[in-house]
Amino acid sequence: MAYRHIGQETPRPDSADKAAGQAVYIHDFERPQMLHGKIKFAEQAHARIVDIDTSKAERLPGVKAVITAQNTPEVRIGFMRDNFALKRDKVRQFRDEVAAVAAIDPDIAAEAVELIEVTYEPLPGVFTPKEALAEEAPLIHETDPRGQPRENNRLDLRYHHESGDPHLGRQAAKYSVEGTFSTPLIQQSCMGTAGCVAEFDRNHHLTIWAKTQIPFLAQRDFIQMLGAIGLKERNCRVIVPALGGAFGTGLDTHAYEYISILLAWRTGRPVKVLYDREQEFSYLSPRQSSEVKIAQGCDENGKLTFRWVDVLMDNGAYTSWGATYPTVMMLPATSLYRVPNVYFDAKLVYTNNTYCQAMRGYGNPELNWALESNLDELAEVAGIDPLEMRRINCNRAGEITPMGLQVTTCGLRDCLESVSEKIEWTAKRRQGKRRGVGLASLFHVGGGGRIYRSDGSGLILKLDDFGNVNVYYGGVEMGQGLHSALSLGVAEALGVKPDKVFVNPTDTGTCPWDVGTHASRGAFMACNAAIKAAADLRRQIFTHAKSLFPKIVAKNLKRYQKKHPHYTAPDVDVAALVDRSTFEMRDGVVRLADAPDEPWLSVSLDTLLRGIHFRSQGEMLLSHVFYDPPNELPDFEKGRGNMSATYAYGVQGAEVEVDVETGEVTILRLVASHDVGRVLNPQTLKGQMYGALAQGVGYALYEEVCTAEGRILNPNFADYKIPTIAEMDFPIELDFIETDDDRGPFGAKGVGEPGLVPTAPAIANAVYNAVGVRIRDLPITPQKVLAALKRKG
Amino acid sequence: MTPEAYYKPRTLEEAFALKADHPEAFFIAGGTDLMVLMRAGICRPSALISLRHIEPLHQLTVGATTHIGAMTRVAELLEHPEIEERYPLLTAAARRLGSPQVRSVATVGGNLANASPCADTAVALLALGARIRLASPDGEREIPLDQFFVGPKTTCLFSQELVTEIILDEDARGTHGVFIKKGRVKMDIAQASLALWARVKDGQCEQIRLAAGSVGPVPLRLPEVERVLLNHPLDDDRISQASTAAEQTVQPITDIRATADYRRQLIGVFVRRALRQICTESR
Repeated sequence: MAYRHIGQETPRPDSADKAAGQAVYIHDFERPQMLHGKIKFAEQAHARIVDIDTSKAERLPGVKAVITAQNTPEVRIGFMRDNFALKRDKVRQFRDEVAAVAAIDPDIAAEAVELIEVTYEPLPGVFTPKEALAEEAPLIHETDPRGQPRENNRLDLRYHHESGDPHLGRQAAKYSVEGTFSTPLIQQSCMGTAGCVAEFDRNHHLTIWAKTQIPFLAQRDFIQMLGAIGLKERNCRVIVPALGGAFGTGLDTHAYEYISILLAWRTGRPVKVLYDREQEFSYLSPRQSSEVKIAQGCDENGKLTFRWVDVLMDNGAYTSWGATYPTVMMLPATSLYRVPNVYFDAKLVYTNNTYCQAMRGYGNPELNWALESNLDELAEVAGIDPLEMRRINCNRAGEITPMGLQVTTCGLRDCLESVSEKIEWTAKRRQGKRRGVGLASLFHVGGGGRIYRSDGSGLILKLDDFGNVNVYYGGVEMGQGLHSALSLGVAEALGVKPDKVFVNPTDTGTCPWDVGTHASRGAFMACNAAIKAAADLRRQIFTHAKSLFPKIVAKNLKRYQKKHPHYTAPDVDVAALVDRSTFEMRDGVVRLADAPDEPWLSVSLDTLLRGIHFRSQGEMLLSHVFYDPPNELPDFEKGRGNMSATYAYGVQGAEVEVDVETGEVTILRLVASHDVGRVLNPQTLKGQMYGALAQGVGYALYEEVCTAEGRILNPNFADYKIPTIAEMDFPIELDFIETDDDRGPFGAKGVGEPGLVPTAPAIANAVYNAVGVRIRDLPITPQKVLAALKRKG
Repeated sequence: MTPEAYYKPRTLEEAFALKADHPEAFFIAGGTDLMVLMRAGICRPSALISLRHIEPLHQLTVGATTHIGAMTRVAELLEHPEIEERYPLLTAAARRLGSPQVRSVATVGGNLANASPCADTAVALLALGARIRLASPDGEREIPLDQFFVGPKTTCLFSQELVTEIILDEDARGTHGVFIKKGRVKMDIAQASLALWARVKDGQCEQIRLAAGSVGPVPLRLPEVERVLLNHPLDDDRISQASTAAEQTVQPITDIRATADYRRQLIGVFVRRALRQICTESR
């Protein structure tokens, strides 16, 4: 299928304003009379709160409110309801919020926070899952949210899958390898730090400008909170400003947001809470850490006979989406490569560490790290080339995986061959000289991801008198390029030029419901909804054209003949043509399919729209749709259900050189071949992939939030290292495999996350190929490599 | 939290007078270290006395004796063609200091007076045998740079004393200089760094100085290693001895950036690599 706009390099609609500093981020955003809120954090990992003395802070000139759990209603937060906006009786992690201040400027607010005196009675802390599971371990939560006493620190969440007979599969394996792989806490490192502005109007309705990826679920959370503070039946409107990256940090609502609402309610004035970089590092939830014990086995031909996965996760002190990583881990665990017998189980444990939230990939990089490293180990034991091992077990279109995932299209084999060719696999595997190549595949949702009752997405297209298309969509542009894909999709599906499409700011007051911009679903959902709405609008336009078109072209002809006196019009019976032909629209011009190509025999969309509007019983055209993809909410305790409408595949290859004296790994080249279904906008797609690869490289080699007894030791970019342009100074080759999936808009699959999923194991496998050492705990630091080299001798 | 005043003296005398009037005030050069400490609340000066407008501190003259004013910005040093020509070791180190943004405000004097054990220019200047000139209301004095550092973040400066210039007595043309630094990423505080300067004749070092960063309480000279190398043929055996001596001499600590053990190993590697490089260069 040939497209007019889809697949064309098109500049993003938001890039000029962002480059010029004109886009309004939460940092730039102000309201009249706005106050600034600051939070007093516990700085204690586990302690009973004996007393909070706010008197000095209250006396500081410029301070408008000081709140604690003592003088505000209880606000429970988090999907397990195990967290509180402000902590009353005890603190369970270093970053716990114990008080907050609103003042006329941020400096006064900060000074007031320092004047708050909290007396604690320290409690013993637990900082590893092992400690937390010990018999006599102190309880992080003495009771559950219903007030029932808890007996241990295990979370009441079950994620389990068994298919085939994993025990038999293990016995049937000729070769098998087992290993434990771990990943650290990772900071999402958004360019734009977290913040919000909360404001009540005089009717006690709330508006919050929030850094969120889930405006509608946030609205639900905040309305629930309004009920808890005595504002039942009041509305909350969520407006999303320009975002400087979110990467999962906007998937939950945060204590700082509830605090800004409490402060705004207390003071009657708008309140902004903004985190600086150190606060973002110290007091916001990072990516969940993990420990994955994995075993895989194969027969003498390399065919996988079983896979056994046990996941142990340090949940931290409270529950956010970090606790649901196993819902995504289950996907590759059961469905990457064809494995007949699979066991998967995940345990989560409360500790006094920071609690965790979502980040791009959401458990997939964690599981993939174990799976793809371990698969290379298995290949070696079985004496099979790692690429061949993956070919032998490659997924295929049409298969239904053990988890019940329906593979509609599958580009995995093509991705493998692409990487093999581009990385010069056969030649480079044996090059020696401390250089090596490695590869790793990935499997991820590509057609939404139903982890909630609805995986739907509403969209409104509104046409005006000038042929402009206004789009109202509840998904979030956070820098990834959603509006770029969406405007191209609307233009393509409707038949207008992309510069006539305007995507409006995300606002729960104007946009229809969307579950959130997560699970690589933004472009997939938005464009599928756009196709549906555009089809409806075209039908409306063409229906009206039946009556209006003949009159307008008659006028056109007169005007044309006036300008061109020598022109002789062909004898066309327009009315008859309208009856027997069909309308089409391209670049905002409506024609008849069977009409001769005459300059007057077409009508521009704006002329037609004015004709529809300005007449007796006129109409304005708009379309609203709700697209809910054909997927299922899995039963995660049984580990079954077709979570996504389609699935994305990809393979990455790395060539590295290892300095055996310092342990340093230098990446010489990366190749990334991804099954993207269809390229929507190559510019945006490449941007997403390069960014994801940089995050993947950071995850592989540099990034790690270090903690000691719950305290974060490197809350800044001086000591939390992400790759810069100097580290990414090597060739990156991208290849996009277009599998043209029926369920995808224009054939496209979601691709927001896959780019960072297999990078770390590809690099680790290359390191092994280069110098024969296997690192099992990320990041692959020079110190670890050197120590491993010394052990190897 | 915010200092009450920011002074901009035009002469050293004015600066000293201000400091006498405001003993709790801090001198500020480029501010790339001080501002971070102030923001973190670790350092709370009552006022700041900027050294930026004191003209003599900006003078940079290259000649038989080279004078680098303490307020010379690191970026200026890098842009100076004669510095690059005569002291490539110094430019190599300066190039690895911080980010372009930091280099465009950080000063050489500040990098020294801050007395961080990892200071990149300090390590290079130690190997180049630099002297520094200090000034106070009581007068001026000059000391070899290796007597300047006393401990982590501590120097021999008296409370009202300032670094005014760095002096290099030798024209380093025709000699060898190597700077090696490793961080967790390229733009980083050194996990370990090494500067080596040598005059080589007939395969022997007739003059040699080594200095190392981030492997002791201060930027360290390595005289034990120098002794191993001075006036001996630079063969593999000698290089290996020097490397071992370096590993034994340094006194690194373990912190979030690297373990003591890893730092020690790095210094050994750097010494080998630097010596091999000068062997190649002098062949």
